Amino acid sequence: MLETRKLYNLDKFEPYQVVSWIGILIVAIVTVNLLNAIFINLIYFFEQGNVEQSIIYLVFLLILVIYLFLYIYINQFVKKIYISVLFTIFFSILFSLTKNSITEMFLPLSFETFVYILVLGFLLLFLFVFIVEKVANERIIISVLFFSAAFAVIVISFILLFLIGEAFPIVEQFGFFNFLLGVRWESENPPLEYGAIPLIWATMVTAFGGIIISVPISLAVAIFIAEIAPYRVQLLVKPIVELLAGIPSVVIGFFGLLILVPFLQEPLPGFYFLPSGSSSFAGMLILAIMALPTITSVAEDAISAVPRSYKEGSLAVGATNWQTISRVTVPTAISGITAAIILGMGRAIGETMAVMMVMGNTPIITFNIFEGMQAITGTLAVEMAEAGFGTTHYHALFGLAAILLVITLGINFLSVVIIDHMKISYRKKPNDTPFSHFMEKNSSIILISMFILTLGIVWLFLSATLSPIGAISVYMIIGLIIVAKRKIYDNLQAKTKQYFAYSLIMFAVFIMLLVVFWVISQIFFGGLPAISLDFLTNNPVGTKGGIFPVIIGTILLVIGTILFAMPIGVSAAIYLVEYQKEGRLTKIIRTGFDLLNGTPSIVYGLFGYAFFVLYLNWGISLLAGQITLGLMILPTVLRTTEEALKSVPQTVREGSLALGATKWQTIRRVVLPPAFPGVLTGAILGIGRAAGETAPILFTAAVFFNPGNEIPSSLFDPVYALPYHLYQLTAYAATKQLRYGTALVLLVLVAMFYLIAIIIRNYYRKRIQW
Amino acid sequence: MEKDLHKNGYVIETHDLNLWYGSKQALMDINIKIQRNKVTALIGPSGCGKSTLLRCFNRLNDLIPECKITGEVFFNGKNIYNGSSDIVNIRKNNGMVFQKPNPFPKSIYENVAYGPQTHMIRKKKELDKIVETTLKKAALWEEVNDRLHESALGLSGGQQQRLCIARALSVEPEVILMDEPCSALDPIATGKIENLINELKENYTVVIVTHNMQQAARVSDYAGFMYLGKLIEFDETLKIFENPSNELTENYITGRFG
Repeated sequence: MLETRKLYNLDKFEPYQVVSWIGILIVAIVTVNLLNAIFINLIYFFEQGNVEQSIIYLVFLLILVIYLFLYIYINQFVKKIYISVLFTIFFSILFSLTKNSITEMFLPLSFETFVYILVLGFLLLFLFVFIVEKVANERIIISVLFFSAAFAVIVISFILLFLIGEAFPIVEQFGFFNFLLGVRWESENPPLEYGAIPLIWATMVTAFGGIIISVPISLAVAIFIAEIAPYRVQLLVKPIVELLAGIPSVVIGFFGLLILVPFLQEPLPGFYFLPSGSSSFAGMLILAIMALPTITSVAEDAISAVPRSYKEGSLAVGATNWQTISRVTVPTAISGITAAIILGMGRAIGETMAVMMVMGNTPIITFNIFEGMQAITGTLAVEMAEAGFGTTHYHALFGLAAILLVITLGINFLSVVIIDHMKISYRKKPNDTPFSHFMEKNSSIILISMFILTLGIVWLFLSATLSPIGAISVYMIIGLIIVAKRKIYDNLQAKTKQYFAYSLIMFAVFIMLLVVFWVISQIFFGGLPAISLDFLTNNPVGTKGGIFPVIIGTILLVIGTILFAMPIGVSAAIYLVEYQKEGRLTKIIRTGFDLLNGTPSIVYGLFGYAFFVLYLNWGISLLAGQITLGLMILPTVLRTTEEALKSVPQTVREGSLALGATKWQTIRRVVLPPAFPGVLTGAILGIGRAAGETAPILFTAAVFFNPGNEIPSSLFDPVYALPYHLYQLTAYAATKQLRYGTALVLLVLVAMFYLIAIIIRNYYRKRIQW
Repeated sequence: MEKDLHKNGYVIETHDLNLWYGSKQALMDINIKIQRNKVTALIGPSGCGKSTLLRCFNRLNDLIPECKITGEVFFNGKNIYNGSSDIVNIRKNNGMVFQKPNPFPKSIYENVAYGPQTHMIRKKKELDKIVETTLKKAALWEEVNDRLHESALGLSGGQQQRLCIARALSVEPEVILMDEPCSALDPIATGKIENLINELKENYTVVIVTHNMQQAARVSDYAGFMYLGKLIEFDETLKIFENPSNELTENYITGRFG
């Protein structure tokens, strides 16, 4: 006979429910940890041979288990209360018999064990909730899911507060405006000064330069993939772009330092270009390479999303393909394209390892982009290890991290505002905000002043970099091009213009392919000689030897990262998609995850260092690295899980509910299984990213020289990791073979993960056809 | 000029036209002749190939990669599937109005001005004139002349469709191809467009695909009945509806299937 279950009205969010949810969550966590603690005590006393205590704890354990069993399987609420009361009385009596206090019960546990218990309890909780159906009372489920979702908001606020807390002393020790507006950064030789302007300047200039180089090429490639390339070519070019996205930043930095910088110095034998290749310009090129895949994929998505009917409408009037692309498709997709550019910008600003390795690292303010500069991220990576805990230098670095976070979050916020503004302009009513009115009335003045401003700024850069004569010649060339366009190009036939535009686009695609090929081939052919069984299975000896423990270390880090990020990310996604109606609450939660997504990896690393390593006193440890990396890939897991869940049609859910299944049963049995491949893909993408990231483990988990203890024996030991190892090898005098070999192994490892993810995605896409 | 030479000929003619989507054949041996300055309707049940045939006339089927064609389609005596034919010109001369109105996400003015602009007409005065003329021809001018620079997406369905007709007219085509233009519209808007079609045939040739038989009867001079990719019967509308020669046609007209 089917039992009738009480259905809760779970669709409306009522604030008072949060109290009951908090209560339930606390009870759940306490129960699980109580179980763990009793079990540990039992083992402890058993090993000690203390029969009396052992029996007592055994009885505790049995009673607790019986209680849980009864609670779960008895459905009437009143009976549940009876049992709970009974249990509490019984337990208290027994407990007084042991003559222990509550705290003493936890005494046999070292801090390490306690952490282990917490971790275990955390995992068990999720396991329970997801697997044991009887326990899966809708209320418990929703609490767990809700808190996973709220986790992001909590974490990002915590990170922000913590950072500001660590940075705040700089205000009294050095002065707020001295720090923010100071033009000299000198952290080694007295007189020590911590002015942030040179670093902010370097970050913004290099990022802008990188974006300016990258945007035309990315857009061209995006247009090529979306509108011009035949299907087979699309299938080839898209993965190449994704491949470029997957290359770890330390590998690109490696390429930059060992190949690009010398190339800039001496492009052809005997022909010198820059006195020192390490410069802001090199940084711009590297950032362009890194931002390219981001901008390309997002822009390509936006362009593909333009309804086909617009294209047909344009062609039906006799427009050429290129006219359609330039006058209808791209303008329609402009908000998505803008989002792509801003995302690329955020990526460029937050990039650490690659820029640090090629920028020369001299904190000066200059308009000459061929000189070395020092970005905020580079400063953090290089100087954090040297700064003593609690010194002014330490606080100044955290101040920098706070500034960086504010800039990147500000850009993310700006992108949302701009895109909303753009979307409005194509709605039914024309733009009716005071801002747009202001812009319309003063449009000519604004345009002219912006134009003059741009001209002036570009002049400053050109004349410093090339010399005033060089700047004048550049302007003249630009003027000539504009004149040529008006006189010649504009009067060409539409077909000819298309030919011209297509050639430019093909050229851009060619450049992108060339870059990818150059990077990968250099590393492949440079590293291949180093690969041997010895290399892969031996331990390092100083700066020579093998990299076996390094590979193991990376694998350990990755496992922990996934165990941390998956439960939280998947639960949060389930909550957002299945339980919560779109509204203010989901907006806040999504903003939390977006902010986490926009946070640069070095900021995660710094937070992990200050909080886990120093504040919690874990020291440089595997666990600290795992949690830091886990936080970093959390938004990725959330996003991919959300997509996977949303791809399950609503009709399937309705069919299940119509049979009388509860919401959670529907999710577990009908929605999650087909969504699983998508979730898995997200997990593997997260793994790929975690394996390649350096900045989060820079100060939290990784070491380079730890003979005798290369493979950690506990979660609190430091660990070797491939990206960090590669970074150190480039800094120390290691052989070319070793360096390239490590780079190749890292590249292959990451590529393998991405390949697996793509295979799974394609395989399941064919099997599940709705 | 070609137009004069073929003033008394058929403006569009097909010769043993066959079309495949991949391995599925969608059109079989179509031989049809479209008369100048008349309204020709293509009728038939869903999936019989009417829209596919229409899209052959302006080579919009080229957009579909798996599409293969044998046979010939003549526009004013020239085969448009000839390698040397100018697609852009063909499409300019055969304007198309789609089933679902698809104005660009631009202003009303820009939507109509788009066509001339792609054909190198730049001067604002000329464009203004073209916009006004075509909007008047499309019977939309009265309703929108005070808000030409507002978004076209703010118009009602019927207005959007008339805007699309104006857009098609703006490049001065000879033929207007209409693919079920009223199926997404309410009866009043439909009536307006049907009146419009009647006025248009004085200066243009209209080919209209419709699954609404009554509409075909109201609006067209000639009708072609298609079934499963074949052109079953083609004759004056009056004859098709009152005295069809083919039994299949009669069954469809009388509603025995459809």
